[in-house]
Amino acid sequence: MNEFTTYNEEELILLLKNQSREGFNYLYRQYSPVLYGVICKVIYDEQTAQDVLQDVFVKIWTNINQYDAKKGRLYTWMLNIARNAAIDKLRSKGEIMNSKIRTGENVVNDLERTGMVEQVTDGIGLKNMVNNLKPEFESIVNMAYFQGYTLDEISKTLEIPLGTVKTRMRNAIKQLREIFNK
Amino acid sequence: MDIKEYIASGLIEAYILGGLSAKESAQVEADIAANPELAVIVAETEATMQQYAASFAKQPPPNLENKIWNTIQEHKTSKRNTNTGSAETEILPKTKHIPFEPEYRKPVQWKYAATIVALIGSVGVNMLLWNETKQFASEKTALTDQINQVRAEQQKIASELEDYQKGKNMMADTAMQTIVMHTAVAGHPMAATIYWSKTDGAAYVAMNALPAPPKGMQYQLWAIKGGKPVDMGTLPNSMANSPTIQKIAMAITSSEAFAISLEKEGGNPTPTLVYVLGKTT
Repeated sequence: MNEFTTYNEEELILLLKNQSREGFNYLYRQYSPVLYGVICKVIYDEQTAQDVLQDVFVKIWTNINQYDAKKGRLYTWMLNIARNAAIDKLRSKGEIMNSKIRTGENVVNDLERTGMVEQVTDGIGLKNMVNNLKPEFESIVNMAYFQGYTLDEISKTLEIPLGTVKTRMRNAIKQLREIFNK
Repeated sequence: MDIKEYIASGLIEAYILGGLSAKESAQVEADIAANPELAVIVAETEATMQQYAASFAKQPPPNLENKIWNTIQEHKTSKRNTNTGSAETEILPKTKHIPFEPEYRKPVQWKYAATIVALIGSVGVNMLLWNETKQFASEKTALTDQINQVRAEQQKIASELEDYQKGKNMMADTAMQTIVMHTAVAGHPMAATIYWSKTDGAAYVAMNALPAPPKGMQYQLWAIKGGKPVDMGTLPNSMANSPTIQKIAMAITSSEAFAISLEKEGGNPTPTLVYVLGKTT
């Protein structure tokens, strides 16, 4: 495969549906850092994160026919597969002990860890800007997006009203958008 | 529906972030389908979250690409094998050929939403149960400790009670006589007591006022029979100068007197230095 070849999502989907090696290579090179990054946000243990990454690619590969372009971008679909697989893994018996989710302490740890992960992550150079996200926004976004908390659970864990959780989510996205559009 | 209010509520963002229950998500999806303005917010939010996710990008280890490709190939092979298996069965007579039709699949999103909701619920309950179990375990340990402590105290009390009972029985025994052994060494006021029941031969000794023996030495009890000392065994040094009463192991049916002497550790066949002596009545 030519390293400079780029495919748009439609072309990639076609390659994947044809089960082509080139499709896999492109998929992997293009998306594995982001998917791996997302998984590592959820799962702290690198070996487990790599296992989940493998499961995610197998899932993408075998379920590509279920992807519905009308429902959203391939990218979003893959992100959701990675997120869900990681959260599933996190909540499977063994991992739950390791990651001590669902404690207030963990939310704090997660915030601390966020900084740590970003130190090794310098892919797109956004790390410093993302660090500008207000902590109260960041914790809510991460709890929902990376840890699978529901609104109710966030509201109870952080002891803030449900409505506040939603408005903070909206404001968090707003702030992120401003950061990315700078 | 007030679209502006709807957008301002943050419900769309909560939906994209995965914070809604399956029921809530379904409602939001219906609302999005009905209102193009909402679809715009959805697309924007999704794009932002894609960028956010991308900001955490991390290169997986280099060997992983081939490993994953091989796994995918294995998956394929195992699938193909199953297909070959069914193809063979189709050769069998009377087997109707069923054309393969792709299974109708519902949009996968629902399944994910439902699964996550179920998982969240189950995890929540599990965490609660787990915490409770932990709590129970530590409570159990504390209770076990308490029980053991109470049991030890109870045993102590029981053995004390037994001693008192013995003492009481001993004192209540009218046949029991008390023999005070007085000092046999001039200038050294010493005393010990024997409680002796002639009828059953039971005897108890207390070294009420005997000094602790020097190192390597031990007190020995004697019964004098026919003018001759009979060895009744050595006495523990801890009993010296204490009110402790000890039962004498041997039954003593007759005795003219009792004596305690100081002997080398382990005792002697005949008394060396008699400290106290008391005659029976």
